[in-house]
This record gives sequence, structure tokens and C-alpha cells, in this order.
Amino acid sequence: MKILLMGHPNVGKSVFFNRLTGANVTESNYPGTMVDYTKGWMKIEGEDVEIVDVPGTFSLDPKDRAEEVAVAMLHENRDAKVISVIDASKIERGIYLALEIIEEGYPLVIALNMRDVAEDKNIVIDADRLERILGIPVVSTVAIAGEGIKELVSRLKEAKPINVEDIIANAANASNTESVADAGGAA
Amino acid sequence: MKLSTGDRWDLIDKISKETVTFGAYKHTLKDAIGELTVKPMTGIPVAIAIMYGFWSMFGSFAGFFTDGFFVRLFDAYWLPWLQEVFPGQGGWLYAIMVDAGGIESGEFVLSSNCLESFGVLTSGLFVAIGVVLPAIIIFYLMLALLEDIGYMPRLAVLLDTVLHRVGLHGYAIVPTILSLGCNVPGVTATRILETKKQRFIMMTLLAIFIPCGAQIGIMQDVVPDLMGWILLYLIIGYFIFGYILNKIVPGKAPEFLIDVPPYRRPMPSNIGKKVGGRVRGFFMIAIPFVLIGCALVGILYQLGVIQFLGDMLAPVFVGWFGVPAETAGPLIAAFLRKDLAVAQLSVIEMTKYQMITAVVLVSIYFPCVATFAMMLKEGWKELLGSLAVLTVVVFAYGGLIHLIGKLLGVA
Repeated sequence: MKILLMGHPNVGKSVFFNRLTGANVTESNYPGTMVDYTKGWMKIEGEDVEIVDVPGTFSLDPKDRAEEVAVAMLHENRDAKVISVIDASKIERGIYLALEIIEEGYPLVIALNMRDVAEDKNIVIDADRLERILGIPVVSTVAIAGEGIKELVSRLKEAKPINVEDIIANAANASNTESVADAGGAA
Repeated sequence: MKLSTGDRWDLIDKISKETVTFGAYKHTLKDAIGELTVKPMTGIPVAIAIMYGFWSMFGSFAGFFTDGFFVRLFDAYWLPWLQEVFPGQGGWLYAIMVDAGGIESGEFVLSSNCLESFGVLTSGLFVAIGVVLPAIIIFYLMLALLEDIGYMPRLAVLLDTVLHRVGLHGYAIVPTILSLGCNVPGVTATRILETKKQRFIMMTLLAIFIPCGAQIGIMQDVVPDLMGWILLYLIIGYFIFGYILNKIVPGKAPEFLIDVPPYRRPMPSNIGKKVGGRVRGFFMIAIPFVLIGCALVGILYQLGVIQFLGDMLAPVFVGWFGVPAETAGPLIAAFLRKDLAVAQLSVIEMTKYQMITAVVLVSIYFPCVATFAMMLKEGWKELLGSLAVLTVVVFAYGGLIHLIGKLLGVA
């Protein structure tokens, strides 16, 4: 099995990579530390799994050489699973990239990373609800402190291709049930 | 099914409405510090203070280990011991490996220090371990701190306007600073720039004007009093030729958008790993090249090739650049290792201004072979272009420095 770590620049992909594989990829606090990919290995339930630390990219429509490397990496590995690393304090655009990857048919797990930074900014994310809407595992993590990494790994097997129409339906459903609940509360 | 960009954003809006609650935004101390280091009024003084701190740490740490420890170790113990035990004094192998010595009043005399001896096991090891190792360790340690705290993107924002003048943008500071450690990762880091034009300008400027950590380390050791002038000439060159390249290279230099990450407390384990990895990587390349470079120059001396080249190129060296013809040797070594070349320059007799010119020439004249290989990997057309620019720069800028010296009455 092969797993790609994908996400925007400076969301902590390399931190995940090092945590998962025990490797020593350079981690820095600025976007664009990784301009090339790195591969490593880990064992999940006895199976050897190849992990690829892909350079950061904002979308699947590359704007520079590092992003080209990232998109090419994804397209060369049609059978890979993707861990989509999202900065929890900038969730919308993180989901944008995740949706693009989902639409291309890749099985995906979302790591809502840097939960601590989001909390500093008073941003609260209902990960369970997000998981129900997207239909894929969503795990809150603070990769740099090692929080949530185990759960993320254990839930990798639940990753499956999702039809984006289901997500649209779930999102519509969720807002309906909530407005009903609100109405009930008001009454 | 694939969504259109608009539909995708609509969906995200719905999802985020359901799952995210934004509390009141609090202005924290972190935010305040962040703003102080980005706003020009306060940010520029802070940047100058940080750079000054960086520089003084670099100088005192490297000086402490090099002058305080390695110079004594190598000159007082290692060199005399090798001179004693290595067989065949005066022979060619002895000259290449240990000490080429000198002729004083018709007699062969041994060198008194590891810069003069020119041997692979003496000068080569001394430069690699005694001078470059401390310089590289302290450089990467401080760089790692700046990186992990999150200062680099803020420096990028501050320098954006200036760097636009040379066809780049603020983020070009990242490859530039990385190159101050070693040009090889600097060249790779040019990939974060958007257009071919920007990458070409950046790569060319790096290869020509940015001295690497090894080179700065040895300069700091052998010509500390001339450092200011040498760096000034390099910085001025970076901007002059960047400005010209921006005018003549076709293509676009777009604005940059950057996420300035929050400041974070650096983690010692990450700093340790990063510095360790970089120093190791650097030495895998550096040590073999220093030793090979030293051997090669030694052999060329023994064969008389360097004297021949020196004589042949004397009109160019003496007439155009105003430096002694003997600088031909170091310039050949500079292709393999610039640190070695500076070490060799330091024992050639010349005036201070000639030394400044010669060290600047060593910096700008050709990228070292490792950088050369990395540039080739990024594209041979760009490499050829860079080399063409380089040739022009060496003659134009080298001549200009000579001319300035003449006008100042020091050359």
C-alpha cells in the first residue's frame, strides 16, 4: 500500500512524515520547506506501507515547480491512499484541496492538524459532524506533539473513494436537520 | 464527478457553516510580536538587530573554535608531526600530501602553518575540519532557530519591495539565505519561485554573488578585517546585476502571496535533527571535494601547469583585474571548493585591495562543482545562460572593482 501526505504548504506534512516513518525530513516553520518528495516506510498491522511526503500545494492546478511535483506525484500513484493534512485554523481552503482529490476518486483520510493553533484563534471545529458530512475519517491532530497520530493510522483502513454528490447531499441534509432542531428549540 | 470551482466553494461554505464556529478574535501577545516584526517602522530595526546578532554569533563561535582550538592543534602538533613522520621530504608526494614548502635563500624550508603548506593532509584537513566545520555548525544552528520560530516569512515580507527591483519577490530571501549555508540547497529552493524568469535570475545571482558558509568561514578566519568590503561588493553586485537581468530576461515577475505562520517555540529535538542532518549532508560533499581539490592543485603545481597558466593569463590578471598572476592557482581550486581557494589566496603576497578583489573574484568567477551539477539538474539551458551571464559579470565587475580601486588610489 502507498500513502501520500498532501496538503497546503506549512501545514505540517513533514512532521507527520517524520512521526510516521521515524525519518528525518527537514521541518521548518515556513511554507516551501519541501520542494521535492521524500519516501519512507512504516508498518501498519503487519503490512509494509510506503509513505510519500509530497511538497505542499494549494490546489491541483500547479502554480510553481514544487506544486507541479506534488500534482505529478498524485497522478502517478492512482492506487494510493491520501492523508489530507489540513491546517485547522484555515479549514475552508484545506477542504478545497481535499475535495479536489476526492473528486479524482482517491480514498482519503483528513488530519485536522494544528488544533492547538485553531484553539488559540478561538476556532472550534466539530470533527464528528465533518466526518459524517464528508463520509470519510476526520481526525484532530497536533502532529508536532504527537497527538492524534495513532488514531489517524488506525483509521486509514476506513478510507474509501467517495462520490462528491453524496457529500453535497449530506451537507444539505445536515443543514435541514439543524434548522429543524433550531426551530424546535425556538418553539 | 468533478465540481466547478464555484460549486466546490458553495459546498465548502455549507460544510463549514455546519462544522466550524469562529469565536471572538483576541489580539494576543504573539500577534502583537508578529506585527512588530512585519511593519517596516519596527520590523526593519528588528531585522537589522537579528542579522547583527546572527553575524556576531557566527564570528565569535567560529573564531572560538578555529583560532582557539584548531589552529593550535593543527599548527603546533599535527603539521610538525606529519612533517616529521611522512617519508620522502622534498619529493612530489610529500609536497602534495603534506607540505610543498618554500625556497628561502636557496634552501628548502618547511612551512610553519597549515595554510602555507598546501598539503592534502595538512591544509586540506585544516580547512575542512578546523575552519569550515565550526562555521557550518553555527550557521545551520542559527538558521534552524530562525526557521522554526517562523521568522523567515516575515523577513520575506519586509524585503519584498527591494527584491522586486531585481525581478524577484520577498520569498527569494529563502533561497538566498539557504545559499549562505551552501549554494546546493539554495539552487533547489528556487523551485518555490513561480516563473522561469524568476528562477533563472535567482539561480544566476546565487551562483555568482552568494558566498557559501564554508567560504564565509574561511574568509572570517584569514581576512577578517576585509570581510566588510568583500561582502559589500558582493551585495552591491547582487543588486546591480539583478536589476540588469530583470530588464533583459523576458518573462514575468508576479507578486507573491504568502501565509505568514504564527511564531512558534522551536523544539530542541527538531533543531538538533535538522542541524545534524544538514552538517552531515554538507560534509559528505565538502570533505571529499576539499581533499580532491587540494590534491589536484598540488599536482598541477608539481607539473608546472599553474605557473604556466599564471604566466599566460598574467596580462588579464595583472592588467584587467589588478591582482597577482599567482591567483591563477586558487581560481582553479575554486571550481572544486571556494573555501580552499580563499585559503590559498591568503598566503599569496598582495596588497589589501588586491586581496579584496581576488576574494571577490573567487566568489563570483564560477560556481563550485557541486552547485554546477545541481544547476545542470534544474535545466541545461538555464545553466548555459547563467554561465554566459557569469562570464560577463566576472570581466565587467572584476574590472569595475579594479577601476574603483584605482580611483580611490588603493589599487
